[in-house]
Amino acid sequence: MEKSSRNLQILNIATILLMVIATGLVFLYAPQERTMGEVQRIFYFHVPSAWVSMLAFFVTLVTSIAYLRSGNPRWDIIGRSSVEVGLIFTLMTILSGSIWARPSWNTWWTWDPRLTTYTIMALIYVAYLMLRQSIEDPERRARLAAVYGIVGFVTVPLTFMSIRWWRTIHPVVIGSGSATAQGGFDMTSPMRLVFFFSLFAFTVLYFCFLASRVRLENLAERVEQMKAKLLSAGG
Amino acid sequence: MLLDETPNTIGYMIAGYAVLFGLPFLYVISWLVRQRNLEKDVELIQTLTEEKKK
Repeated sequence: MEKSSRNLQILNIATILLMVIATGLVFLYAPQERTMGEVQRIFYFHVPSAWVSMLAFFVTLVTSIAYLRSGNPRWDIIGRSSVEVGLIFTLMTILSGSIWARPSWNTWWTWDPRLTTYTIMALIYVAYLMLRQSIEDPERRARLAAVYGIVGFVTVPLTFMSIRWWRTIHPVVIGSGSATAQGGFDMTSPMRLVFFFSLFAFTVLYFCFLASRVRLENLAERVEQMKAKLLSAGG
Repeated sequence: MLLDETPNTIGYMIAGYAVLFGLPFLYVISWLVRQRNLEKDVELIQTLTEEKKK
């Protein structure tokens, strides 16, 4: 317990340092993009947020498979924690993207294939948490959530590939996108460096959030066990 | 379309970063509140267990 607390502290400090450096690079090192102006800087945290949301749901896929194979409740705790963390990053992506879209696309929102599939993905994982809330029996809840976590993951590659498969106005960062994409730009070397550093910092931030969330969930489990023990002793 | 000058979009950038920093900050605050409540629960249960032993 002592060692894991210490490891979490080290992870927290590393995350804060990485995020401070990433922020410094975004505002002090990355050059201003000529056609969009300052709003383009949202890109450096918007894309990593989207990446982390998909990574979080991938972790839930892996832990769901692991739970169904082993029945170990630890996997269930990691899976549901990852969905909660993933949804925070999903909300960050949607809101920051909408703010970027207003000056770039002249609208806050459009039912573009990427935006639509991303919204469906978000709703699928909100439903995951709602499903969990609706089932009383812990074992049944964990089993059904694991199955849902596997099936729901279909929306993640669908969202990722949507801008590559369909006609869309959403720009593609890596690879070639639709000819109708608006707001895309060629990254210069400093831009690329800032982007990949932010991607790394956000990945570490995700693991930091996940570890803290799992720790909180373990504390909640401990409280539940203590309550049950107290009630059974009283009965 | 070619633009002659770079548009002033700094307000949107500030709004975007307010969201990108604000949401995780609020999320961390929600953990701290949840953690404090759980720790209070642990203390309460421990007190009740001690009282029962007496």
